Amino acid sequence: MTDKPFDPVAAWTDMVQKWEHEINSWSGKLTENEQFGAIIGQATKVQLVAQRAFGEQMDTLLRNLNLPSKAQVDQIGERLDAIEDSIDRLRLAIEALAGKAAPPAAAVKEPRRTRKPG
Amino acid sequence: MAESAPLSPEAVADRVRREVDRALKRNIKGLEFLTSTRAEVGAMARDLVHREGTAMLWRYRPVVDEIYRRPLLIVSPPSNKGYIFDLAPGQSMVEYLLNRGFDVFNLDWAPPRRDEAHIAIADYVDRFIPDSIARIAEITGEREITLAGYCMGGTLATIHAALHAGNAVKNLVLFATPIDFDTMRLFQTWADQRHFDVDMVVDRLGVIPPELMLGAFDLARPANRTAGRLHLWTNMWNDEFVRSYRMFDRWAAETLPVPGEYFRDQIKKLMWANALVKNELEIGGRTVDLARITVPILNIIAQHDHIVSEAAAHPIMTLTGSTDREQLVSKGGHVSLVAGPAALRRLWPLIDGWLGKRSV
Repeated sequence: MTDKPFDPVAAWTDMVQKWEHEINSWSGKLTENEQFGAIIGQATKVQLVAQRAFGEQMDTLLRNLNLPSKAQVDQIGERLDAIEDSIDRLRLAIEALAGKAAPPAAAVKEPRRTRKPG
Repeated sequence: MAESAPLSPEAVADRVRREVDRALKRNIKGLEFLTSTRAEVGAMARDLVHREGTAMLWRYRPVVDEIYRRPLLIVSPPSNKGYIFDLAPGQSMVEYLLNRGFDVFNLDWAPPRRDEAHIAIADYVDRFIPDSIARIAEITGEREITLAGYCMGGTLATIHAALHAGNAVKNLVLFATPIDFDTMRLFQTWADQRHFDVDMVVDRLGVIPPELMLGAFDLARPANRTAGRLHLWTNMWNDEFVRSYRMFDRWAAETLPVPGEYFRDQIKKLMWANALVKNELEIGGRTVDLARITVPILNIIAQHDHIVSEAAAHPIMTLTGSTDREQLVSKGGHVSLVAGPAALRRLWPLIDGWLGKRSV
């Protein structure tokens, strides 16, 4: 016997936690099965082949509609990433040059590296 | 069986009022949640100090006038963003370490481009990590560092420390780092050598999309997403819970693609051959011998980690040549190890104590 009153929210939370635990344990047992690995391996293959076939179909459709394909959008994204990378490198190079040219007093003051534990 | 004590009418009224109030808040905040933009992350000011394609080296700005001599370089796992170390004020390992006087750098990753699909484990351990260490030496004048890594970032840090033993790395700190991949049963099943055609996957895709790896994580805990949303709804009235949920949710959703060759190495050399723990891993024509690591090691493991179990992480405690080794087992799971509120109270002070003595 306990003095703790019934708490519907705590009971709900408890139920969700138990459900989560049971499903995860069940999944753990299922995935230990060798056949499961075979199914997953096949599913990955099928998924890749289907994605490719679907992608080709979609590219044809988009080309007919005079719209950019996913591959073309990806290419633009990659070029933007490459430009961002180049800008970062240029900025770092300019900062390094400016650091060398400037007198020491202008440099950002580094903290002392003398700390001891304590 | 426990019985409930009878409640007074006042207590019942009080409970009803509280639950109605929470239900209203849930609905209002639930609408806010659904219409909100993505959660803001990052507590501490930082500067990009080196960039090489996917590799980005950040330096967090020191916040105290006197810091430890040896800088700390944290390597993020290639499949995840490094802001997990710096989620928000009060929930940031970086903030804690900066306040304790450490000079913190983070080697983080941008999504690899298709022309970076060739990047393999060798590029991480022989190029990105050494280049970062060289840049840190330029900035700080220090040639000795502490190298830390989380999950696969820790595995890369370990491989680097073994291949470049005797160089800059003077301490090794590992968070939830897999060393023995045979013990990772779910991933072994998922990438079963008899059925998983990694060459086809890599050759066809080039850069491996995050969905492929997220599938394996979902298999490990299929109920987590749904249960997480149910817990969110129950706690929608609680701003702190919602804020934390949104930050973790954003981090999980921003899982990064990885370069195909790195993925091929990970599957063939680590998962299938389990070569690291057997001292048979070949990188750039050299064999990775863990016994060559002789620096102090702090190995941090999460008690309820469903991704990297204690069995997967523990071998670093026996296979290295180091005589100064310590293992900490922290309560919580794979992510809460580096970002959970319990880590702030219990784990990070222990790291501070261990690392401070070895950073002078």
